[in-house]
Amino acid sequence: MPQFDTHFFSSLIFWEVVSFGILFWVLWKFAFPPILETLEARERKIRESLEQAERHRAEAERKMQEYEAKLAAAAKEAEALFTAARERAQRVQEDNEQRLQADAERIKGDAQREIEAERRKAIQDIRNQTTELALLVAEKVVGRSLSDADHRRLADEALQAVADASRKG
Amino acid sequence: MEESPLHPFELHELIPISLFGLDISINKAVLMMGVVVGLAATVLVIGGSSRRLVPTKLQSLAELLVDFIRGIILDTMGKDGMKFFPLVASLFVFILFSNLLGLIPGSYTVTSQIIVTAVFAVSVYALSVGLGFALHGVKFLGILVPPGTPGWLLPLMIPIELVSQLARPVSLAVRLFANMTAGHTILGVLFGLAIGGGLLIGWLPFAFTIAMNALEVGIAFIQAYIFTVLSCVYLGDAVTLHGHGDAHAH
Repeated sequence: MPQFDTHFFSSLIFWEVVSFGILFWVLWKFAFPPILETLEARERKIRESLEQAERHRAEAERKMQEYEAKLAAAAKEAEALFTAARERAQRVQEDNEQRLQADAERIKGDAQREIEAERRKAIQDIRNQTTELALLVAEKVVGRSLSDADHRRLADEALQAVADASRKG
Repeated sequence: MEESPLHPFELHELIPISLFGLDISINKAVLMMGVVVGLAATVLVIGGSSRRLVPTKLQSLAELLVDFIRGIILDTMGKDGMKFFPLVASLFVFILFSNLLGLIPGSYTVTSQIIVTAVFAVSVYALSVGLGFALHGVKFLGILVPPGTPGWLLPLMIPIELVSQLARPVSLAVRLFANMTAGHTILGVLFGLAIGGGLLIGWLPFAFTIAMNALEVGIAFIQAYIFTVLSCVYLGDAVTLHGHGDAHAH
């Protein structure tokens, strides 16, 4: 094998030591420190980023839970408000209905009473006028004047009799 | 097929140089070492100079390599092992670039030279032993006694462990050298068959050449990885001295 030819050993050993020495020195001085530093910086950066992401995630989760709780509370409150409003509306409606009915009843009663009063008054008027008319006629017929009070009493008695008769009839 | 399949591994002096009587002539392997060092340094220095959070392509490549080696060290030696990072990373980068660049047709695989892998293996092993004695003193000889060995087994265990220890640099050097040599030899033989076979049958070995080349890329990477991991294990053994408690199989 040509590799066992000792003729080249001295030059190979010499140049190997020299070239490896140069490579070692160059890498040791100029290559390894910045590369190792960069690697460490990147590892640090990645670790920090991951930690930060974890922190953000936890915070986001916490906030979401908070919002969910708030949302649930708000929904509950809205539900309560809604129920209360509905109850109140119902109550108001019932009240209104009652009041309206009462008003209607009252107005109806008032109207009936008024009608009754008017009717009575009208009957009284008719009665009075009839009496006066009758007196006038009687005066003309009798030719003499009775005292006004007497006339009236007589007329009333007559009319009462008529009324009683008409009621019975 | 007149040429030996090992012909591509032959070296020839290109520029004869002599230093104090020592022959340090430039040959193809030495040129490739220069290319390896130049390319690796360029990729890592330029890639490392852009220190963006979102990396550029070259930065990604440099960071991938560095992060990969950091992973190996942290797995085998723990956080204390990071002080070996520059050495282990340079070793990995040098071997990986040698293995990969050697796959380019016409280039030369530096790590297919046994002497090159042997220098790395012996240096790493010598460093681990030196470190062991420096840190633990004479107690480092305890590495020859696996924890929990009964006393009467010591005469048997110590020679076995001694052999196992001495096998470490040898296996480290031979594994890389043999893998690189074998891979390139197979590629050479297959390509020779493809050329020799002509159009009628030559396409078959040629297809195998392509498949083998893809496989060799994987092997180039795996062998660099294995060499680095074992270096880390040996250095870690020296630092912790049975600290991990588990013996590593070879």
